[in-house]
Amino acid sequence: MAPKSNQTGKQPQAGRAARKSKFQADLAPAEDRIVRGLKQELQLGSNTDFLSDALALFRWAVWERKNGRRIFSESETGERKELVLPRLERVAPELMLPRIEISWTPRELESLAELASREPATPTESLVRAMRG
Amino acid sequence: MAVLIRRLEEQDELEPFDCGDEPLNNYLRRYAWANQQKSSIGVTYVAIDEIAPRTVIGYFTLATASVPRDTFPKKYVRGLPPYNLPLILLARLAVDRRFSGKGLGHALISEAFKIALRVADDVGCRCVITDSYRDRVDWYARYGFVALEGVAESGHQRMFLDIRTIRMAVKGA
Repeated sequence: MAPKSNQTGKQPQAGRAARKSKFQADLAPAEDRIVRGLKQELQLGSNTDFLSDALALFRWAVWERKNGRRIFSESETGERKELVLPRLERVAPELMLPRIEISWTPRELESLAELASREPATPTESLVRAMRG
Repeated sequence: MAVLIRRLEEQDELEPFDCGDEPLNNYLRRYAWANQQKSSIGVTYVAIDEIAPRTVIGYFTLATASVPRDTFPKKYVRGLPPYNLPLILLARLAVDRRFSGKGLGHALISEAFKIALRVADDVGCRCVITDSYRDRVDWYARYGFVALEGVAESGHQRMFLDIRTIRMAVKGA
């Protein structure tokens, strides 16, 4: 099963198959060897099958971490190793920020209200650069 | 230099950190961990160099807050959503002076914006607010922060950045 591109909730037109999106990745030679090795080990015939299984596993990991559950492997002797990926940690509920009280002067509140009720400003070059990557 | 930004951990070395500003040094060394772990009034994210993964070379602290809608002047209320205004406070941001001029401040504020967007997606947030030192106002303005009026001359300059502007920057990136 390949990941499908039409995730907008619209129904595909009758008689037409849902469009599939292409996924292309630049892999370093070492990564390419790993992919080939895993495909062989898991007896996966195509890159599509490989990506589909990898996606299912990653999706599950994100879901577990999002719900505050930590992910471990356990050996026969009970030795545990925790899976910690910085990107995965970003979805963990511990990311949630605490709530505080801020004091405002009446003029600051007026200024804040005025700015917040305006149309958003166009991002500056530095901001665009900050959000890149 | 490969820099990683992550949440502050208890084992991190904070004593060597020196940004040249004693209140900011002091906050990191004495209060950041307690505020994050015990009081839960701010989360601190630290920059570390991968070759010395416990030595903090920069940091920022975030918290959320909201402004009750009924505190806004009536003439502006119509242009605002019918709820309290949720916001993210970028409470502190500092770079160790041995690493200044290397783009670390940019990397820190980039990460702060990305976290702000994720929080906005999860729980809603209308803007990012920061209280800047007067001599750093221009630096924040480069990222689109706008100075609020009505701040005491001697105090920090409170500044505003619309979360929708940050979202637009992602699309423009």
